[in-house]
Amino acid sequence: MTKPIPETQPWSEKFWEGTKQGKLFIQVCKDCKSKIFYPRKFCPECWSGNLDWIEASGKAKIFTFSTAYSMVEPKFMDELPYTIAYVDLEEGIRMMTRIVDCKPEDISFDMDVEVLFHERNGYFLPYFRPVSKK
Amino acid sequence: MSKGKIAIIGIGEVPTRNMPERTQWDIIYDTCMEAVKDSGLHKNDIEGVVSATPQAQPKIAAELSFGKLPEELGLKGCKDTVSCNAGGASTSNCLRMAEQWIESGIAKAVIVQHVTLHSTISLVDQINFFAKAGIDLQWEYPFGPTYNIIMGLMANRFMHDNGTTPLEMASVVTALRSWASRDPNSILYGKEVPSPEKVLASDLLNTPLHKRESNILGDGGCAMVVVSAEDAKKMKRPAAYKLGESVRYFSGTCVMRDFDKVFEGFTVTAKEAMAQAGITKKDVSLWNCYLAYPLGHPMMAEMLEVAPKGEGGKYFLEGRMSFGGDIPWSTIGDAPGRGHTGSGVSAATYVETARQLMGKAGERQVKNCKYVFQNTAGGSGFNQISSIWGKEIK
Repeated sequence: MTKPIPETQPWSEKFWEGTKQGKLFIQVCKDCKSKIFYPRKFCPECWSGNLDWIEASGKAKIFTFSTAYSMVEPKFMDELPYTIAYVDLEEGIRMMTRIVDCKPEDISFDMDVEVLFHERNGYFLPYFRPVSKK
Repeated sequence: MSKGKIAIIGIGEVPTRNMPERTQWDIIYDTCMEAVKDSGLHKNDIEGVVSATPQAQPKIAAELSFGKLPEELGLKGCKDTVSCNAGGASTSNCLRMAEQWIESGIAKAVIVQHVTLHSTISLVDQINFFAKAGIDLQWEYPFGPTYNIIMGLMANRFMHDNGTTPLEMASVVTALRSWASRDPNSILYGKEVPSPEKVLASDLLNTPLHKRESNILGDGGCAMVVVSAEDAKKMKRPAAYKLGESVRYFSGTCVMRDFDKVFEGFTVTAKEAMAQAGITKKDVSLWNCYLAYPLGHPMMAEMLEVAPKGEGGKYFLEGRMSFGGDIPWSTIGDAPGRGHTGSGVSAATYVETARQLMGKAGERQVKNCKYVFQNTAGGSGFNQISSIWGKEIK
């Protein structure tokens, strides 16, 4: 069963290009200096089109999480159990992600995690794992 | 956003059940005709029709959007019709449209209606619809979230920050089902009310949500007749007057939702709506809360300042929000008690608000029901609309 890939916009392609190279890019506004997530056509703070990208450290903390054991879409059933989380990047950005490379019962609030990239049909989704797991 | 401009003077509803043998139009006839009859008006007095667009059912959505309902029901006095959708907040917007038409003189009496037939939608289409609606297709959907997981993310953090226990969370189901078991319009009418322990013993779907804490999809429909507050007063019939309303937008994408802003939005909109109505929380006879999942109710109780911070779950576990408790709360049992009819749960909640204020709620009737707090929220929680409805207007 085909798993979904991100439905991108022209202005988010740089983000997904970065993930192919193992880089987590964050969009920034060169005028008001805002860090922007998710990427936009114009800065959501000041409507400037003068936008650029910086590479994030890839370090984050888990804000919240939920581990799924059943009742997910059939296309994801083969991955159960899996943990969805909101993580807060060091750069002040919050993202939805998966927490991998650990048992669900070992996941905790405010746990330090780091990015890794999971390939799916040519896209590389930013997943996170506990920092101690190298 | 205005005090005392409209009133609900007629209600009609079919019980929430699995009814694949019925068509949407079959249900629309029943609910609209019952609401008009209940209002004491003639069908040709209805000058406007506003429908909540059933998004998951494209055929009926198109028929309603393109004006079929007044023709089908022979509403000869109808001047206009429209449908609108804002997820669970759809009915609030339907009522706002009715209010605008009434205030501007377009219509003197307006039907607001909703219908959903989940049982005629294939399982594949249901799964596809609920997997994507309200979930961002670029930044969320590829990771495999569901509505259950989105609620789990919020509930887990709330429990962590507040010390709310799984047993307290489970007791919300007990409270909601205690009302639903006494509601002839509920899919769980007459059914056993599970104890919190039994709720927790059911399968864990995703942390911290158990099977009995999720929703049963159902078919349903309801309708309301709305007129100006002035006309309602002249008609000398039981009515529910809209006395105040306030709203805050949070975010369209789940992950962009700042939890603190959401909590603040719940509190502030409730206070603003009460201020417009000229009442305080002590005057509220019924907290008719709509959240679609039980896990949000302790949070709601705390944000509305009905329970002190950290004690929302405790209040539910003590039975204070259950049938017979001292804080009447969600008297149709919200979606977990009523059965989930898509955008229709909020419509059913408005009908219940009117029913309680009209004194027609039977066994569930809240004594001396004078003021009702009623909220709605759209999509996966993009906004919060708080409103106050009253039995009378000065």
